Amino acid sequence: MSGKIKIMERKGKDLYERLYLIEVFKGMAVTFGHFLSNLLDNSKLYVRHYPEVKPEITARWRGRHRLTKYEDGTMKCVACFMCQTNCPAKCIMIEAGERVDGRTEKMPVRFDIDLLECIYCGYCVEACPMDAIRMDTGIFSVTGDERKSFVLKITDLLETPGAFTEEEYKKGGA
Amino acid sequence: MFADGLFLGFAVLAVLGAAGLVVFRHPMNGAMSFVVTLISLAGLYALLSAKLIFALQLIVYAGAIMSLIVFIIMFLNIQPSDLPKEETKLVYILGGLAVVLPIGLFLAKIVKSLPLSSTAILGNDFGGVKQVGLLLFKDWLVPFEIVSILLLISLIGAVVLAGKKEAVK
Amino acid sequence: MSQLDILLIVLRVAFGAFVPLCFIAVLVWMERRGAAYFQDRSGPNRANIFGFRAGGLVQNLADAVKLITKEDVVPGHITHKFYFVIAPVIVFLIALVSFAAIPFADVLILDGKEYIMQAIPTDLGILWFLAVAGFAVYGIILAGWSSHNKYGVLGGLRAAAQVISYEIPMGLAVISALIVYGTVNLTEMVQFQGQLLFGFIPMWGVVLQPLGAIIFIVAAFAETNRTPFDLAEGESELVAGFHVEYSSMKFGMFFMGEYVAMFTSSAIIVSLYFGGFQIPWLATDALVNNTRLVSFLLMLLLPVLALLFGAWMSKNNRSHYPRENDPRVREANVYAKIMWGLVIALELLLVIFLISGSGGMAARILTAGLQIVTFLVKVTFMCFVYVWVRWTLPRFRYDQLQKLGWQTLLPLSLLNIFVTSAIVVALS
Repeated sequence: MSGKIKIMERKGKDLYERLYLIEVFKGMAVTFGHFLSNLLDNSKLYVRHYPEVKPEITARWRGRHRLTKYEDGTMKCVACFMCQTNCPAKCIMIEAGERVDGRTEKMPVRFDIDLLECIYCGYCVEACPMDAIRMDTGIFSVTGDERKSFVLKITDLLETPGAFTEEEYKKGGA
Repeated sequence: MFADGLFLGFAVLAVLGAAGLVVFRHPMNGAMSFVVTLISLAGLYALLSAKLIFALQLIVYAGAIMSLIVFIIMFLNIQPSDLPKEETKLVYILGGLAVVLPIGLFLAKIVKSLPLSSTAILGNDFGGVKQVGLLLFKDWLVPFEIVSILLLISLIGAVVLAGKKEAVK
Repeated sequence: MSQLDILLIVLRVAFGAFVPLCFIAVLVWMERRGAAYFQDRSGPNRANIFGFRAGGLVQNLADAVKLITKEDVVPGHITHKFYFVIAPVIVFLIALVSFAAIPFADVLILDGKEYIMQAIPTDLGILWFLAVAGFAVYGIILAGWSSHNKYGVLGGLRAAAQVISYEIPMGLAVISALIVYGTVNLTEMVQFQGQLLFGFIPMWGVVLQPLGAIIFIVAAFAETNRTPFDLAEGESELVAGFHVEYSSMKFGMFFMGEYVAMFTSSAIIVSLYFGGFQIPWLATDALVNNTRLVSFLLMLLLPVLALLFGAWMSKNNRSHYPRENDPRVREANVYAKIMWGLVIALELLLVIFLISGSGGMAARILTAGLQIVTFLVKVTFMCFVYVWVRWTLPRFRYDQLQKLGWQTLLPLSLLNIFVTSAIVVALS
């Protein structure tokens, strides 16, 4: 394997740099500049005052999941098990049942997502042939008091609305 | 009275520490009890108002030398299985006591027979940095320098010995 | 012993014991907020008691509660439990005791009696510090060794080797300072630094001994195991070094010990090289003889400082996002009221000194008070330098550290001794 070899000049060999102290003082001057300007006016800090000021979530952000519905309120999911099969974290548990609204033959009677297992990879969204599962709720902070509360039931998934319009979501590349 | 109590405490601690150094099986326990002895000795020096010796005892012996020894013990990382079996320890200790005790009693008797009048309280300046320094560098300059040369020789000897090993390799 | 004697003994011992302890809180706060500001963050500013955050100081209380109520684990694999438990105590206690011989004000003369303003009125001075500071390494060694853990032993080894090897340049730097001052007594050293060089430069140790000061400060950083010499707890390679097995308040003791050691070594650096309690150009005699002028100037200065601080606070102590009826502004208003109350109280106090005039007991007390404040301000700034360096410099590699200690600092400090003694002999 022959490539172009570029020998980098090694820094820090001359006496000025080997004294070290001068360079230390230069570095300290830089940090002190930051310190002083922040101390005199702390409105310029690069921080988001988080619980009060929320971060902007783009349409591509993979947040908490939701199950989508048709306009008439029936769910799009047909219990094909694609997402469950594809899930690398094995966090989706589907139980299929007979469909009652007459759209197709199957629908899930149980659709649980264990958020403690979920790695938010978005493969379930990719795998879904019906565009029935999406991660566009914009919920990025998942908290709870007990482990049970992290298992999302089918009702939770259906009730959560999407945070974006259809156009924005499509533009986001999904 | 207070000074007597302190003397008694320091003396007992010094003796106990020295005994611990001999009796304990694990080297770390031995080293730590020796540290106790050295600190109690420093306390005894302080009671004699020898301030400089007190500080030097703490800096050199208790601080530097013992911390090096403890450092080495930690460095060797001695496991309980590495320690020698000391089944005959009790016999040795009793035998040693039997030999040492008569001598100690004899010494105690000699000390008791010394006249008491020779204990005079020295001035307040005794044992300070300046006084000891003046003594060392005026009256005892030549012995002091000879001792320092001796130390230098041992230092060079250590370096030579350490260097030799590498040359063999 | 008169009542005055007993009162002063109690005051001095209380100062020696409680000021380092109080400074733990200040230093932890300074480290956190300082680190945040150096890195353009804002640091802990949410913990509060009824909305009062004290600039983030309340976070320390929360931390203390957390550390005290945590489970105190002694892992089962530890065979030498006594050493394991006593190690943090040694580290903390040694750091506290080594402050005892540092003077925080000039010798106070009341009713013709002299009171040395140290917690332990000994004239051993710097020797006491060197003697006691050497013991801190036992705590680290015992902690690392008794943890019976690879990381612990490695951290303990590193810390011990570092402390032992940097004690030598430190001691040699002190020797060259001793040659200049001609005494080991810290009070006398600081009194020496109250003089003026060529009539206008304060004769601080750093002016007379620039090289010694640098060597001593570098060695002091290494002695306290602070960045850039904190290899003993290099997180990336050793997790937490010698205190990896410690939890709860036993860890808290190490934590507090580190900050007390930082405070103590700052105090010793200030006393040796930055004039200790001396106010530049205003030695003790000048202060005692000009009480009226000094207290008048202080009465002018105090409101100005309070105004500046108030302006800074009202500008910065508020929420930087739209918020109705901002509680932080209300908080700042309360602080401003407290501050102005303090200013008025101090002004009234200074009026007493203004009336009582120079030379008397009141003048001496005012002088001592001013010197204590000066000492604490200087020490706080030195501690800030510790924080400042920590958030500027990366950590040394271990061989670089030993190389710096043995091949650079040691020869330099020996050279410094020769040069200093030659100059002192030539001048005397």
